[in-house]
Amino acid sequence: MNRGLWTRETVVVLLLAAYLPLALFWLWFGGINDLQRFALALLVIAVWQLVFLLARAQPISLSAAITALSIAMLAPEELGAVRLILGISFGTVMGELVFGGWGRNVVNPATVTLAFLGFGFPAYAWPEIIVPVAWAAIPAAVIGVMAGVMPAGLVLGATIGAAVSFGFDVLPATVLPAAGVVLVLLVADPVTSASTALGRWLNGLLFIALVVLFATGWQGAAPVQIAVAAALLASLAAALLDELALAHWYAQRRRRHGRY
Amino acid sequence: MVPAYPALDDAQDVEDIITDEAGLRPPHGTAPRVSMVVEDGAFVAQGAPVACHSTQTDICFVAPMAGRVARTELLSGHRLSEIVLFHEGGGDSITHDTTDAQTEAGLRRLMQRAGFWPRIGRRPFGGMPNAAERPAAIFILAADTRPRAPDPRRALEGHEDAFRRGCRALSRLTEGRVLLCQAPGPALADTDDAPRLQVVITGPRHPQASAGLLVHAEYPAGIATPVWDVNAEDVAALGDLLHTGALPQTRLVHVGGSALKTGRMVRTQIGADLRALTFRHVRPGPHRLWSGSSLDGHAARWLAPRHRQVTAFTPEASDGAPHWLVAALTRSARPKPMIPTAALDQAFAGRLPAAVFLRALSAGDDETALKMGVLSLLEEDLALADYVLGAEAHLAVLLRGMLERIKTEFAA
Repeated sequence: MNRGLWTRETVVVLLLAAYLPLALFWLWFGGINDLQRFALALLVIAVWQLVFLLARAQPISLSAAITALSIAMLAPEELGAVRLILGISFGTVMGELVFGGWGRNVVNPATVTLAFLGFGFPAYAWPEIIVPVAWAAIPAAVIGVMAGVMPAGLVLGATIGAAVSFGFDVLPATVLPAAGVVLVLLVADPVTSASTALGRWLNGLLFIALVVLFATGWQGAAPVQIAVAAALLASLAAALLDELALAHWYAQRRRRHGRY
Repeated sequence: MVPAYPALDDAQDVEDIITDEAGLRPPHGTAPRVSMVVEDGAFVAQGAPVACHSTQTDICFVAPMAGRVARTELLSGHRLSEIVLFHEGGGDSITHDTTDAQTEAGLRRLMQRAGFWPRIGRRPFGGMPNAAERPAAIFILAADTRPRAPDPRRALEGHEDAFRRGCRALSRLTEGRVLLCQAPGPALADTDDAPRLQVVITGPRHPQASAGLLVHAEYPAGIATPVWDVNAEDVAALGDLLHTGALPQTRLVHVGGSALKTGRMVRTQIGADLRALTFRHVRPGPHRLWSGSSLDGHAARWLAPRHRQVTAFTPEASDGAPHWLVAALTRSARPKPMIPTAALDQAFAGRLPAAVFLRALSAGDDETALKMGVLSLLEEDLALADYVLGAEAHLAVLLRGMLERIKTEFAA
């Protein structure tokens, strides 16, 4: 039997390739502290993957590097090792590993970690996404979409939504860099985003709509906090958006053929 | 986007080859009860019936060339497994009386007795149709997008009139539409030939001309609305049968694959011996022979009744059991999750929500799958998705299980 190569790990490797420009720019403008955070996150996730490999025979995955990168880039600053380890453990175990590992999870483990850290330790400042790093999100999205591992409809829907809301002056420019990076790292995840064509467009539009809502109505929230909260709610709504898209598809087929 | 294959330098000429042995087999995955018409060792003319369906006695399995019946293999309950024939020159071919083919009943009887019936595919559930079944629509496939498939338009060259005659005849078997699926270009037939004929233009990439996905998009098959699909070359053969009374038993076949020195086009009989077709053309070393394309074919000795491709593989070298650590890291927790990517969407030509459908399939959710049109699909339509997912998901097995479940449920 000859076989194709779109297994889970191929998707992970291609996603990592897409995130390379983002990671390089972030490290270039960051420092040794950022690298330490990344290494710590990677280590914690690797330990939990090993635990689940031994306890439940769940194969390990390179997706740990993606989660670690997202957490290291977006987690609140100066948390200290203990809080960070606590947050990463919660996110990666409850968000991913108990469901059966990457590919079977319903929310992105990095999103869960970040939401947990944001709610649990509100006193710590969220990081600022500087503009050059935000630019690097564009090649990341292009590579991801071209390789087919990021949902094109979602990225386009979010981009168009952002352009329109920016044109109507409802999306402040200060939120844009954070929204862009969060879109690429957390929202455009092929596993936890909507999986139907129409659902993906709706998912992208919903993310931008939530960002606009929080940016205009949430006093005193940091841009990254706004974007992460929007990502969490958008990924929780993904199943609903898929159902809507499916209902539309069924109705269309019924209209055309008179039956399913 | 087209991967480079070795052995693609196909000779443009078509060689005519009648192999010394041929094997008659029922459509893949079925084993109908038959009663033998001739004994082992008997001499049969080309097109003469060798076995008949035991309950629907008009449906015959006929000899693809004049020869001697060498061996008959029946499973328990007189179910047909295979009948092997030796080619012997000098035999003539059977001519059928076509005078009552103007009526629908006469046409059906002619098609069944001449051995045309096993060349018809039906959905739902696959296999060949019952003798009296009236399809809700007939799909004529004049496009084939499987890798290295012979172009059906090339097979039709010089047989255009026969093809139109065949279209006309097929349209008498249904009250519904006859859909002619073809690549862009001048229409191969029009409504003058068959009043309810409709041309469907297909794309160039696999699986855009896959029968199941075309049926799913244009006229979904259901329990009460079965749909037939016939290859255009077979439609032309039907036209010839109506004109001359003899059903042509050869077809255009592409012989290719990584174990061959060069791919080639042959015109050979149905049930041809795959070893004879690849003899002297395979590279030195072990190889495996498949009837059908590298995606949806199966290991076989004889060319299957609906296949137009032969693939010769070099088997993958197996290194024995992997190291226990590697096995623990990679082979635990099966089946592996499937990630919705653009590749997966394209494996269904973007015509149905791939991830949701595959989730319903692997979870055994018959109701959702029925709603999504699973009855239009067969294993061959999921072959590309199975390939894309690294052959780990075993979609063909899952689909067959689901179809059998639905069949028993509706039969009850």
